[in-house]
Amino acid sequence: MERSRNSRLKIASIAMVVPMVVGLAIFAAYPLVYLVALAFSRSDLGNRFQKFVGLDNFTWAFEGTIFGTSLFNSVWFALAASAIQVGLGLFIAYLLHSYVRQGRLLRTLILLPLMTPPIMVGIAWKLMLNPSGGWLNGMLLRFGAIDQPISFFGDRTLAFPAIMLADTWQWMPLVVILCFAALQSVPEDVYEAAAVDGAYPRRTFWKVTLPIIAPALVAVYLLRLVMAFKTFDLIYALTQGGPGNATTIATFEIWRTAMREFDVGLAAAQTLLFAIVVTVVTLPVVMLFNHLEKRT
Amino acid sequence: MTEPLPRSPRSVWLARLWLALAILFFVLPILYLLSTSFKAPDDVLQGRFFPTDPTLANYPAAFGHVPVASMIRNSVLVSILSAAITLLLTVPATYAMVKLGFMRTIIPNITLASYVAPPVIALIPLFFLMQRVHLIDTIAGLALVYGIMNIPVAFWLLRSFVRAIPDEIDEAAWIDGASYWRTLVRIALPLLVPGIVATALICIILSYNELLFASSMTFGESSRTITVGMSLFQGERLVNFGQMAAASFAGMVPVYVIAVFFQRYLIGGLTQGSVK
Repeated sequence: MERSRNSRLKIASIAMVVPMVVGLAIFAAYPLVYLVALAFSRSDLGNRFQKFVGLDNFTWAFEGTIFGTSLFNSVWFALAASAIQVGLGLFIAYLLHSYVRQGRLLRTLILLPLMTPPIMVGIAWKLMLNPSGGWLNGMLLRFGAIDQPISFFGDRTLAFPAIMLADTWQWMPLVVILCFAALQSVPEDVYEAAAVDGAYPRRTFWKVTLPIIAPALVAVYLLRLVMAFKTFDLIYALTQGGPGNATTIATFEIWRTAMREFDVGLAAAQTLLFAIVVTVVTLPVVMLFNHLEKRT
Repeated sequence: MTEPLPRSPRSVWLARLWLALAILFFVLPILYLLSTSFKAPDDVLQGRFFPTDPTLANYPAAFGHVPVASMIRNSVLVSILSAAITLLLTVPATYAMVKLGFMRTIIPNITLASYVAPPVIALIPLFFLMQRVHLIDTIAGLALVYGIMNIPVAFWLLRSFVRAIPDEIDEAAWIDGASYWRTLVRIALPLLVPGIVATALICIILSYNELLFASSMTFGESSRTITVGMSLFQGERLVNFGQMAAASFAGMVPVYVIAVFFQRYLIGGLTQGSVK
């Protein structure tokens, strides 16, 4: 009796899990194996595995292409954009938490950027910042702040900040929603105790609230970091990696190598290198999260 | 609700100002896009916020220039189909992991690992796989790719909802002699409806908004999605901004409808999965 129950449990469990595991295998395990094979071969889009070339694709990625630059751009874009978004997002969430009682309309408005397809986010910000017909340039010209329209996406130093602006517009709402939930999960008696002690709101925030929500904040940063490494659409819509290679990030460069230059072997090597970089950059944040969660 | 601490009037006023600025920042680009969609070509170049001479001409022109309507239809079909696939694959597995204790440590780890990996990793291999099974350039093929792509997100969202079901409820059903599948379908599923709705909506939005896979796996009018359509606008030398804005706005309407009508589900789903 007990045995048949155990075997029934096992059969049901396996049957429930298998479809998802097969799905993950198709999406994650199979691509990885396939990529490793491609990376060591000369392959193009129409004609794969022409010949084994050892590490040629890997060395060529650094010596013959701008892939190194694109890796650097990806890392600093992900780190910086996520930091800006978590900082500003926490600030807005704190204001919402402390000063707004009925926030239905506010929450719906905040959701809109988050829901917008990233390619349309790019289009909206292109309209905002364009040299001809852009709202910001129109404003600045009319108030006499500038004589010549500024080409935000055509300028080496301004292009990345402009992309970060659009990225922040889209993703800061997610940070606000998550930080708001974290603030609401702080037990009420914590505030009461602080108020009895006569602590000012600002002091209460830094000394009491922030340590409590620190693990959640690191988790949000980690989530944004992972998502920021996947950015593709914004670059595609706004700069196509330019001017020059100023905004070429790894995802865009891999896509271009594979789908525009058809060098699939090289793209596979680039992809593997990129995966290693993503892991190396996110690992310390994961360790920080584990450390903070253990402490509390 | 936490009772806010007493605030000075000045700090309340300052907080409202900051919040107003934030809201302005969030809605301004959308309003400007909408406003641009009503501008004639020479009006666009003025860079003023409101159209001087509002026109509706951009909408029929954009829908004639690019098959916007069929692209939106493709996007809606793909995203709904893919969300159904994701849920079919993920709900039983999540249930088995949480309630039957099956592969309790392995599954979270492999889903997390496959979420962290940038999707561009899967692009090339899946392109060839879809080509092999003749699903390239089809709605079904793209829906299948998205259906699998969204498994990790759906798993992390659903997990907290399944956990919230008290164990006694399932155990009572098993003691009564109900099979595990029956318990899942008859007992757990009805309790999971809010979580499933939230997860489905988030998966629909993720699929609707996706560009990378869509741009590589759809070429023809019968399968091309709206995000791909909008990306093609970017390649043209002389972009008609009014028409581009009109097509963009039309393409944004489906997700905004979801945002407005299902705000609670969306925020509930987003906060359930990620922080807890």
